Amino acid sequence: MAHQDVVALILAGGQGSRLGVLTEFLAKPAVPFGSRYRIIDFPLSNCSNSGIEAVGVLTQYQPLELNSYIGNGHSWDLDRNDGGTYILPPYVSQEGSDWYLGTANAIYQNIPFIDSFSPKHVLILSGDHVYKMDYSQMVRTHTEVGADASIAVIEVPWEETDRFGIMNTDENKRINEFDEKPAHAKSNLASMGVYCFNWSSLRRCLIEDEADPDSKNDFGHNIIPRMLDEGLFLYAYTFEGYWKDVGTVKSLWDTNMDVLDTPEVLDLHDQSWIIYSKNPQRPSHYFGPKAVAERIAISDGAEVHGEVRHSVISVGAKVEVDAVVEDSIIMPGAIVKSGAVLRKCIVGMNTVIGSDVLIAPEISDENDFVNNRLCEAGISVIAQDLVIHDGAQISGNSMIGPGDAVTHPHIVSEMPTRYSY
Amino acid sequence: MFVNAMGLILADNQRVKLGPLSEPRALSAMPFGGRYRIIDFLLSNMVNSGIKRVGVIALTRYKSLMDHLGTGASWDLDRMNQGLFLLPPYINPMTRSSERSDLSSIIDYIETGSQDYVVITDCNLIMNTLYNDLLDRHIESGADITVMYNRDALEYGLPNISLMLDEEERLYDVLADSHTVSTEFSSINVAVVRKDLLLSVLEESRSRGVTDFTFLRLLEFYKQLEIKGCEHKGKVFRINSMANYFKASMSLFDDDLRHQLFSEVTPIYTKVKNQPPCLVEPGSRVNNVLASDGCIIQGDVENCVLFRGVTVGKGAKLRNSVIFQNTQISNDADLNHVIIDKDSVVKMGVRLLGHPGFPVVIGKGSIV
Repeated sequence: MAHQDVVALILAGGQGSRLGVLTEFLAKPAVPFGSRYRIIDFPLSNCSNSGIEAVGVLTQYQPLELNSYIGNGHSWDLDRNDGGTYILPPYVSQEGSDWYLGTANAIYQNIPFIDSFSPKHVLILSGDHVYKMDYSQMVRTHTEVGADASIAVIEVPWEETDRFGIMNTDENKRINEFDEKPAHAKSNLASMGVYCFNWSSLRRCLIEDEADPDSKNDFGHNIIPRMLDEGLFLYAYTFEGYWKDVGTVKSLWDTNMDVLDTPEVLDLHDQSWIIYSKNPQRPSHYFGPKAVAERIAISDGAEVHGEVRHSVISVGAKVEVDAVVEDSIIMPGAIVKSGAVLRKCIVGMNTVIGSDVLIAPEISDENDFVNNRLCEAGISVIAQDLVIHDGAQISGNSMIGPGDAVTHPHIVSEMPTRYSY
Repeated sequence: MFVNAMGLILADNQRVKLGPLSEPRALSAMPFGGRYRIIDFLLSNMVNSGIKRVGVIALTRYKSLMDHLGTGASWDLDRMNQGLFLLPPYINPMTRSSERSDLSSIIDYIETGSQDYVVITDCNLIMNTLYNDLLDRHIESGADITVMYNRDALEYGLPNISLMLDEEERLYDVLADSHTVSTEFSSINVAVVRKDLLLSVLEESRSRGVTDFTFLRLLEFYKQLEIKGCEHKGKVFRINSMANYFKASMSLFDDDLRHQLFSEVTPIYTKVKNQPPCLVEPGSRVNNVLASDGCIIQGDVENCVLFRGVTVGKGAKLRNSVIFQNTQISNDADLNHVIIDKDSVVKMGVRLLGHPGFPVVIGKGSIV
């Protein structure tokens, strides 16, 4: 294959188990976001806008939706003759077959892919963050300072440092210590999960790490500490801007609400850094004669006939007359029938909320659906391809998935087929 | 679906005048319905019918059409051997006049296609239909040409074609823009013709020095050829005047009509744009509004079609209007029965009032 200076690899195989039923049938990077996007649109668009032309997407968990969404990369202008997008699933070889065991092992298994471009630098990105970042600046700085590896870091509030991998640096931003989720952090520079490596150094470390039976084959736990132990130059590249990890129900909801409340911060209207997505072929969205819409984001094919406030209405979703949707995320193709009231809900793709259903934090009766482990702040999650039967009342912090169709057939049932949007 | 037909779209009709809106573009490149151009309907109908080779005759004002069509990828017409063929004017050593283009490019396109039939459509039709029945009827009947028609009453004096059909739907007379005779049958300018027959018609026209190919010219062969009608039942808008265009746009607020026109089964495809979602801010009102990606709405909007990237400022009041791409309506503007072309700006507090039958029309890139 043709030479590429930089090859990007997007880790998109994670299950995203903290999103519960939302990721039961699709990988976290394929989760719809912000009315017309999927989360993976952000790293893919960042690659495209940064001028990176060889992008491997490592898939493993529930890859069907993701694979069909990415296709040949055309939507992100990543269908190149020499390079472009490559879907990289685990594969069988003469030595046997292995699932990707950890993030480092996933890259290790794709050494031949990366070698084929003979790159100088390799970018390792994760497929589950919402941010706009020019990777070419990072690679340039990485080259200028002469680092072996650069790790993008962002300043986080000191009280939240225990949620992140924290980088401790000297005055020249040289990393001297890595603290995974420290109880008492020495710095507030959190790793964004964006790494730039000299391919030769990374390649050698991956092979050594693979040979170590005690290693968990993980970038944060093994590769970075290994490089620090060897005395390699690891540079903390400071990123300033909007960056959100959407790994939990609360953070997914918060990040969607940011699109409504602070549209200027993520600035999706920025024509110099367009976030591309696979465009559905749907007509313009329609507001009916009785529609009420206040502070909403809405896209192609959606129809609003009821009242929608402070909500994200995705492609092809419908809110029928007399339905009320507030502080909610209605994902592609979902339907809210007349008289239904939803507050603080995340409704999965193609799900139908029946007439006069009420799902809201103020319903105090605790029910079997409450999931305080994954849901908080009253946010309820309804999985994709379900039907919530007419008149059901469900309290906040609930999580309803296909399994509930078996145990509570009078409240929820499953659609006969799943189809992708 | 294996369909033995190629498509041919006549992309412009100089006789249809839409004021400043048709100045910068061919008629088929006219924006419609928030995110489409008329040619999207023509192309999608063909593609949904299984036609994989489509020629677009673009003799004039074709820059915006070329921008829109690109490689044809949006219609799945970026193909190795078939796909989209743009047929702009061209002159080669075989053309009769060294200064004017003739029918050579069209003849060449038809000749090189492997299909036995050609579906020809005019440039001003907004409808969602399949041509498979028309094609089947044509092949069964053995007619030379089959033309689609319906019984819509046509308006006098506008570019229209009225058909005189006998009881076996055989064409015995054609009237264009008739002021005097009213007929029961109105042509929907879509026809099927055998490839070799179309070629001989075109060759004959070329040898007589004809330089353009119109739908009327094809139907005028009724004396030599057997031309039959095929009735079409679905909704059709013939865009042949500003009032018609406006009326068609305003009818999109009807749920049934809109769902028929933008069917999920036979979608209308259009060029991909990457605009963010539309934002509707607090304090705005949106009733009977067809809006598109990239819009930012802060005002009071009713019975309007907003194309992609339109912004409506605080306190602005829009009624019964069609606003094209990226036009900015500033705070406190007051618009009723207005069509504004793309990239325009309506300044603060400006008031523009048209009439349902005679909307105010503002040209591309205007500052009002």
